[in-house]
Order: sequence, then C-alpha cells, then structure tokens
Amino acid sequence: MSTKQPMAERNAAQIVADEFMIARAKIIELAATLDRIERASGNVNDSKNMQLLVHAMHILIDDQVEKAKRVQLLMSRVYDPNWQNLMSISKKGG
Amino acid sequence: MDYIDPHLHMVSRTTDDYETLARMGCVAISEPAFWAGFDRGSVESFRDYFRQLTDFEPKRAAQYGIAHYTWLCINAKEAENVSLSREVIAMIPEFLECKNVLGIGEIGLNKNTRNEATIFQEHVDLAVQYKQQILIHTPHLEDKYQGTRMILDMLMGDSRIDRSRVLVDHVEEHTIEHVLENGFWAGMTLYPISKCTPQRAADMIERYGPERLMANSAGDWGPSKPTAIPDLIMELKKRGHTRDLIQRVVYENPRTFFSQSKPFPH
Repeated sequence: MSTKQPMAERNAAQIVADEFMIARAKIIELAATLDRIERASGNVNDSKNMQLLVHAMHILIDDQVEKAKRVQLLMSRVYDPNWQNLMSISKKGG
Repeated sequence: MDYIDPHLHMVSRTTDDYETLARMGCVAISEPAFWAGFDRGSVESFRDYFRQLTDFEPKRAAQYGIAHYTWLCINAKEAENVSLSREVIAMIPEFLECKNVLGIGEIGLNKNTRNEATIFQEHVDLAVQYKQQILIHTPHLEDKYQGTRMILDMLMGDSRIDRSRVLVDHVEEHTIEHVLENGFWAGMTLYPISKCTPQRAADMIERYGPERLMANSAGDWGPSKPTAIPDLIMELKKRGHTRDLIQRVVYENPRTFFSQSKPFPH
C-alpha cells in the first residue's frame, strides 16, 4: 500500500495564503505563553516539559520533513520491542 | 451530507445533542463502552451500563432517526482491577445477541501496564471465541506511541485475528502508518485539545488516502465536540476535495467496516 501519495488539491503558495492568519495566530499564542513564563517568578531550567517545548520548537524550524510526527515522537514514551518478555506477557494464538 | 460517527459516547450527552447531530446529517452512531469518570465497584454496575447501551440508548437515538450501535467491554482504565475485569468479561456474552451490538470494545491500553495487557488479551480471547469484531482504544498523549505498538504486537502475534475486522482508534501522525500498513482499520478522533483536529485529520487523509480510514468525535463527558465530523467535512470541502472522497471517509468506510457484524444492515 502506498502511504506517500499526496492528495492535496492546493499547492504550497495556496496553503500559505489560506493558512497564514491561522498560523500567525498560533505563533503569537506560543510567543505570549513564553513571555508569560519569562515574566513569572521562579525558573523552569530543570523542567522536563519546558525542555520538551524548546526541543519541539527547534523541530519546527529545522530543515527536516514530518514535523508533526517528529514532535509527537519527541513527546512520547519509548517503545521497547522486547516489552512482552520484560512484562512476562505470553503470546496468544501464535 | 449523511455521515456516521463510529465512536461517540452518547450516554454522556443530552437528548438535545441527538437532535443537533440529526440536523447536521448524522444517520448512525456506534458507542463503545468506556470509563464513567470513576471506577465502578461491581459487575452489576456494568450489567446496568450494558442495558443502557443496548436498550435505552437506541430508543433515545431512534427518536431523531439515528441508528445506534454499541461495543461492550471493561475499559483499560479499570483493568488494574483484574478480578472485576474477569467478572465483566464473563458477563458480556449475555448481551452479544442484542440487536445493536457490533463487537468488543473499546479495549486497549491506558498506562501500558502488565494488568492492562493481560485484560486486553482476555477481551481478544472473548472476541475470537464469539467471532466478534474488535474496536481498539489507544492510549493518550505520551503513552500513545508505546501503547499502540504494544497493542499491535499483541494483535499481530495472534494468528486468530482477522485484521480487517479490527478498528484501531485515536490514531495520530506517529501511529497511523503502523496501523494501516499492517492491514487494520484506523480511526482519527477529533478533539478540541488532545488527539487530533479536523485540519490534522484532513492532512492524514491527504497523506495516506481514504482506504480503511475513518473519523470520529469520541464525544463524551469531558472536553469534546459531538459535532466534530461536520467540521472535518467542512475542512475537506474548503480544501477542494471531492464529495466522493469525503463521503467515503465519513459514511462508506464506517458502513463497510460495521457491515462485517451481523446486526448492521448489509
């Protein structure tokens, strides 16, 4: 099965035109959140969540594809293919 | 446009919601059993819940011309209580001949624990024994990727499973490919904050195509929007997609999948 066939009717310029205001609003919301954190007392240097957000923002502006998927994986617990042995879960109907 | 919402917890919604859904084109709903927001204390609580799902709720939906179907299980959030889970699983066959029961669901994982995996497999045993379709819940947020992979490992390691009769729900960008490329059906859940927006669902339809892919609102007692599918329809229309493509995702695909269960009209 092909999972890479683009079906979008719109070209890149059309998408920017259609979605500029939406993306602009989301970026300003994010910027304002960072400002709010900056103005608040205390610091978040050791916050794992803050580190995740900063890492995710780097993904947004790097030159690699699949940004949504990579941000999702960044925010995910690790999958160990050996989990069934580690948990002593027997395989059914194999 | 007529559409089917394949995952909607109407026991948590008002009758006014049924009317709104009907006005927006919803013609059928499937309602998986799920967590009530608190852990139930006995098997009798589940028996009453299953009566609600198989008797009361279809009548409420029918007042607005909506066909109501359901799936039965004990939710993964309650699977840490293994003895209660086993009592519920043993009781489920009492309801499997009800005329709106499509199968076993939504079963799955929550925090990806050993007990959850054990109860998941016992639900799968029940589905196999009674030749039932399966609807899968995949975990939330940071647990989703790990839990989805674990669920797929259990299903793909089980030669009794017919993958064309299994719907893996709540897929997102990092899990959809694993589900589709292994022959399962996939559901995208449209939620206001967590899970997936109509825009991202439209992206996944464009990226992976409509085959074995559907969308749902998973409306429940938490922040959710039971009319989210019309939002997806509107997003796809705005992007210039054809009526045929949209109808396939929001109507034909759920119909094709559900048609594999005896109670659904063929």
